[in-house]
Amino acid sequence: MLRQTCFAATSKRTFSTKLSSSFPTNTKPAASVLLRPVVRNALVKDALPGAVRVAAFHACGRRAILPPLPQVIDGTANDPAPVPPANPSHGSYHWTFERLVSAGLIPLTIAPFAAGSLNPTMDAILCATILIHSHIGFESIVIDYIPTKRLPKTRMLFWWGLRLATVTVGVGLYEFETNDVGVTEAIKRIWHA
Amino acid sequence: MASVVSPSQTSTIKEPSHNPEAKTKTFHIYRWNPDEPSSKPRMQTYTLDLNKTGPMMLDALIRIKNEVDPTLTFRRSCREGICGSCAMNIDGVNTLACLCRIPTDTKQDTKIYPLPHTYVVKDIVPDLTQFYKQYKSIKPYLQHSAPAPDGKEYLQSKEERKKLDGLYECILCACCSTSCPSYWWNSEEYLGPAVLLQSYRWLADSRDEKKEERKAALDNSMSLYRCHTILNCSRTCPKGLNPGLAIAEIKKEMAF
Repeated sequence: MLRQTCFAATSKRTFSTKLSSSFPTNTKPAASVLLRPVVRNALVKDALPGAVRVAAFHACGRRAILPPLPQVIDGTANDPAPVPPANPSHGSYHWTFERLVSAGLIPLTIAPFAAGSLNPTMDAILCATILIHSHIGFESIVIDYIPTKRLPKTRMLFWWGLRLATVTVGVGLYEFETNDVGVTEAIKRIWHA
Repeated sequence: MASVVSPSQTSTIKEPSHNPEAKTKTFHIYRWNPDEPSSKPRMQTYTLDLNKTGPMMLDALIRIKNEVDPTLTFRRSCREGICGSCAMNIDGVNTLACLCRIPTDTKQDTKIYPLPHTYVVKDIVPDLTQFYKQYKSIKPYLQHSAPAPDGKEYLQSKEERKKLDGLYECILCACCSTSCPSYWWNSEEYLGPAVLLQSYRWLADSRDEKKEERKAALDNSMSLYRCHTILNCSRTCPKGLNPGLAIAEIKKEMAF
């Protein structure tokens, strides 16, 4: 092993490889091999006094605060990855419903302009569809970016936060539709203002 | 005394002379050694004369390993794009080093990284354990209950066979999966484009009898539906396949 490393060092010198200057230890690979036990010890969390640790916290990179998770393999390397139980209401039905809602929004958006008249029922359907569409969209963001495995509590927080927001917006839209002019008329007025 | 061997029959090793027409190209390569776990990953710079190097990135890597730095570690096997070993991120694109030409513009430096968002074993060798485990989980083999009628093989028509074109060519190099942002975030549960392409390869096979079981295994929020048609997979595939289309076909088959 040592011989190999020394050989690497000589060959680097002979062929004048440009080494990146940010890595001074590489110029002495043999030395670093000898120092390896010391380096390994440095990895072990040391018992520093509190004040030093606080100072280190302020000066350290984000990686030291939120270290990457260790690679976890379920079972051995030869086992297949676990297959989750079939759940169509979060799988195929959900996807089909989502696509129908998205496709349905196109005629619902065009209809009031094409017909030239404002129908409160159509307006309410449009509002409700947009609400469901955006709820599914935000839900997707939460599933993507807050994995249950890593952040289960944050996931639940955002899950219920999103539901609360959707209900709030739903109530607001209901009020707007019943006691005010409605979404299409509001957009029309802003457009002509 | 006359020489026994004439000069025309001997080989001469001449001292290398400086070549004014040398096309020197700079390569920055990601280095990390697991034997030195406390030292951070770094970029190491190598220069090569392109006149003495083969046309492909893999030729450059092999030349660096042979002549400049034997500690450089990478996977390679077939050097013709059929084994998928040399998948890596070259100039920001996941591709096979053996199918990627070295850009002849010597003013532009080339940067080589391991496949993005993978655990690194050493230098540009990624750990693909999870990828292979996921491949195993989709049961990538023909599932048929009865023995073949002629006792030899299951037959299919030419039209049925044609459905598998563009699917069976996948070499599982993991270029597409590791280019997918959705896979970067949820590789524990989302299967990723390469494995889903193979999943569709067995769903599209007329001889397979376990289609409903295969579909049920994908019918949850994570395995398939984390695909948001970003289509990095189809853009990056070094074999020119279209995993995005295969995933769309699975979604369509499962929709109604």
